[in-house]
Amino acid sequence: MNVDPREFNALTRKATEMMSDTADVPTVLRSRLGAQHELTRAAGVMVASIETFVRELRSFDASAEPVVTDTYQDL
Amino acid sequence: MIRTLSEARSRATELAVSVGSRLGGEHQLTQLANTAASNIEITLREVRNAAAGDNNDKQDSALGIWELHGAMQPATEAPSPAPAPEVTASAAPSGLDSEHWLHAFVDELLAQARASGRITFESAERLLQLRKDEFLRDFLTARRMYRTYPRLFPEIADETRQAFTP
Repeated sequence: MNVDPREFNALTRKATEMMSDTADVPTVLRSRLGAQHELTRAAGVMVASIETFVRELRSFDASAEPVVTDTYQDL
Repeated sequence: MIRTLSEARSRATELAVSVGSRLGGEHQLTQLANTAASNIEITLREVRNAAAGDNNDKQDSALGIWELHGAMQPATEAPSPAPAPEVTASAAPSGLDSEHWLHAFVDELLAQARASGRITFESAERLLQLRKDEFLRDFLTARRMYRTYPRLFPEIADETRQAFTP
């Protein structure tokens, strides 16, 4: 199976949508519970990890990855 | 908010599986995806716990965290708990393999209904998501096993060989 850059474009788009959908969660929790609440902090960590994933996914160069075979060669 | 987080968890799990199947489980992107999915899961669990706790105490609480249910939902999508039905017999679907996930899902849903006295869309959605996550994990594990030890699955190997034979 080749690592298809178009597939990663689609994955990046889905990840970006996910990031957009969850971006407001810390703000909502902060406004209702305060910045120091455990839930607010957990949401902040969550959003940061999603942003990191999306950033790395965007910068990932799929075409630079080695070709990965999908079937066992000895078969 | 719970629905938003639940959907995000589902998407993150699918993304982690997709990235992992293409790049391998050790790749940095796969690990970042798994971390994101894990953090979403943690946040979702804590929000649910807080909401459940607040629901029990909401007579005394002014915090209203239960309102977070609808904090990021359209006004028309307020949660609507439904009374639990009377269960007098096994509701396991017939015609399915005994190990089919639907059996476990129905059993868990009914057990939860008996314990809490009601069934809500939220509880059903949560249980279904657990089944889906479990399926995705098992699927990924099975695929790794097949790729690592193809000789353990001769019937699949035969099908693959026939499919590529002109």
